[in-house]
Amino acid sequence: MTIGLSFILGLLASSVSYFMLGLWWPVAVLLGLFAWLAFGLLDVKMDSTFTLLGGMLLVFCVSLSGMVLRANDQLSGLQYADTQDEAGTEFRYPVPLLGQARYGEKIYKASGCAACHTQQVTHEGVVLDVKAMGSEKNLAAVQEAASRFYKFTGRKASGGAVLGFVAGEWETIVTGANAADASKARNFLTRAGASVDVQVRFRGEDLMHNDLQNPEGRNWGRRRSVAQDYLFAEPPMLGSVRIGPDLANIGARYNRDMLMSILLDPKTLKKDSKMPQHGFLFKQAEKDEQRQPTREAEALVDYLLSLKSAHYPLPEAPVDQPFTSSLPKPVQIPAETADTIKPDEAGK
Amino acid sequence: MSSEPKEDVAKQDPREAVDRSCRGPVLFLAFSAVAWLLVYSLFAMLAGVKVHASGMMADSAWLAYGRIQPASQLALQFGFLVQLGLAVSAWILSHRGKTVLVDGGYLIFGGMLWNAGVTLGFLGILTGNASGLEGLQMPGKVLPLLFFGFVLVGLSLVQTNNRRTDEEMSPAQWFLFAATLWLPWVLAGSYLLIHFFNAKGVMANIVDWWFIQNFTKVYLTFVGLGTLFHFLPALSGRQLVGRGYAQFAFWIMLLFGSVGGVGPGAPVPAWLPALSTVSAVFYFFGVIAVWVSLKQTINGASAADTADSLAYNLMRLAALVFISMGVLNVFFAFPGPGSVAEFTTYGPAMKLLFNLGFVGLILVAALYHIFPSLAGIDFSPKMTRIQTTAIVLGVLGATLPSALGGLMSGDAVLGSGFYFASLGDVLLLVGSAILFLNFFGAILFAIKNCGCLAGICCRGEKKEANA
Repeated sequence: MTIGLSFILGLLASSVSYFMLGLWWPVAVLLGLFAWLAFGLLDVKMDSTFTLLGGMLLVFCVSLSGMVLRANDQLSGLQYADTQDEAGTEFRYPVPLLGQARYGEKIYKASGCAACHTQQVTHEGVVLDVKAMGSEKNLAAVQEAASRFYKFTGRKASGGAVLGFVAGEWETIVTGANAADASKARNFLTRAGASVDVQVRFRGEDLMHNDLQNPEGRNWGRRRSVAQDYLFAEPPMLGSVRIGPDLANIGARYNRDMLMSILLDPKTLKKDSKMPQHGFLFKQAEKDEQRQPTREAEALVDYLLSLKSAHYPLPEAPVDQPFTSSLPKPVQIPAETADTIKPDEAGK
Repeated sequence: MSSEPKEDVAKQDPREAVDRSCRGPVLFLAFSAVAWLLVYSLFAMLAGVKVHASGMMADSAWLAYGRIQPASQLALQFGFLVQLGLAVSAWILSHRGKTVLVDGGYLIFGGMLWNAGVTLGFLGILTGNASGLEGLQMPGKVLPLLFFGFVLVGLSLVQTNNRRTDEEMSPAQWFLFAATLWLPWVLAGSYLLIHFFNAKGVMANIVDWWFIQNFTKVYLTFVGLGTLFHFLPALSGRQLVGRGYAQFAFWIMLLFGSVGGVGPGAPVPAWLPALSTVSAVFYFFGVIAVWVSLKQTINGASAADTADSLAYNLMRLAALVFISMGVLNVFFAFPGPGSVAEFTTYGPAMKLLFNLGFVGLILVAALYHIFPSLAGIDFSPKMTRIQTTAIVLGVLGATLPSALGGLMSGDAVLGSGFYFASLGDVLLLVGSAILFLNFFGAILFAIKNCGCLAGICCRGEKKEANA
């Protein structure tokens, strides 16, 4: 190998060991030098199967430990996590498959549903919205801070936000900003003495539809899927092609009757559906009788209804939270309770 | 440094002895590979029909789209590509090493085990015993069978390579040797991790992606490149230029082809997709090195022998597919473009283009070259022309529209790409059926008429006669 080529190889070796393996930089430089010397000056003999075999074994070990074993170290400790449903009831997540659902998972696997349906909700990133409120005293300073922020980030100053500040009312400063811009806005505004409220939003076509904030949303999930969701899947059928919709959260979207009619004839619900009919999951006792689902169909639908993986918030994958300032004011609740408690106390 | 000695060296052409040793095993593997290609194209077409006519064959579970599609993939990759790859590797290793194929019987026995494994896996998927993973769709129980079948074949190949006459190993030999060892390692590794140690949750998928990445980016690519590195110089009658580039490419592609392959949005720790992007970029350095070496070697030359011009041109086309796919792969490895292409029909289309347009085309071209010397009779030239045209057009037709359609439509929506793709499937079916008939007919003709294959089918009779 020429000196130039082997130099590139050495460069690659050192950058891989520094950036990917995270080695101490002198070690990385030494490794790169070693690779350069070995291939360039000492000219490793590629004529011996022993050399080839030795190098290949080394690469195999690097590949296995770097990709598989390292991931295993990180994921093998996954346990239940605490989450809560819409009503606020806390429960342990994920819930193991119950009853027929486990058998339904086998049917899902055997019928190869994963050839057309994925079970992974993705997001394309996080955006932040910032609101601010100034008081009578610092209104001018807050306005000044907002316009400085617009100038600084090269945004068009939206007149409403700068001119329309009213003391004691929340005003949206920026929507859809990245983390750096949002933190700038927060710093500018808090230094001017304003109260600042930041909302974290997840953006992505898979997530819930919202006319203003996520107009392309497909309602496939409230958050992205993470490794925790698949703790009990045997194996997780993530899929790689979406000829049909994603099913990670299908249990939250459809009910039993709709799923049954889709399995029997998909075109009843969606005219241009590409999904084949699954007549083999239904039986017909007599000719004119309506087709009845078999045990397999019932189990499959049980399994599908149990799929609600992209639905509940987890620490590593929270669900969109609205502005805290737009929530109903918590001050009212103690006042009400105080009212209801008072007569009782009076009675005592 | 042509591997084939000049005709006039001795009365007894050593190539003939080598060919005689290769004849039975290589033709056996090649024939089963061609039969699996026919099975693949039949089931791929059926799968396409299911998409257009949703009510068709709805009452038989084993004809569900979700079963025939993965089954056809198994037939293509494990039935066709691996077996034809082994057949061509056996031929190249023995010819390059100027030595007879050692223990050809292992090749036949191992090939039988491998075929049994692929058949059981194929039937297993059709009867609903699929593993549910994408790369290793077949039931876990057939993996040991596949492993032992491959190891037996590999034993013969490695021994043949060890008994080579020249000490020097050429790039073709490195690549084929490495591929022969690599597949059993990753096959055994993934079997143990998934089915023996019962990888929990997404770990099963990570191991599966690791297998897919190693199988395509290392095993199949190395088989294809090894064949190219042998035939492009050999058929054009030129020396291979840039051994250093080939060496560079070998190690870079081995190291970076063996990690990665995780999609940008996968529900796994974020360093895995990032690692995949990085390794795809580095892998591209290897692709460039291969391209430089091959480009300098060919340098616009055409085939030295006009009889080989079809095989030679097919290989050049496949090399073109290789470099274009290399560029596309590195572009779509970045998270931005990658998330546009993710989950669309672009993915399977590129997979098919890689399997058939790159590796498959090279191996079929190699078969065109080696078949006459083994069977003593050539394919029918007319049929060969038709089948080659049908296969090339079929591959392009089945891949390009659905790749473009996938990129344009985004996921969950299908454009008209699917209809063109079905046309491609039909062409592929025609091409592979003619290839099968051509192969079968040539063998039958050889056995009946010229006695060229007497060594294979009438060995028993000969022995009796000798006694």
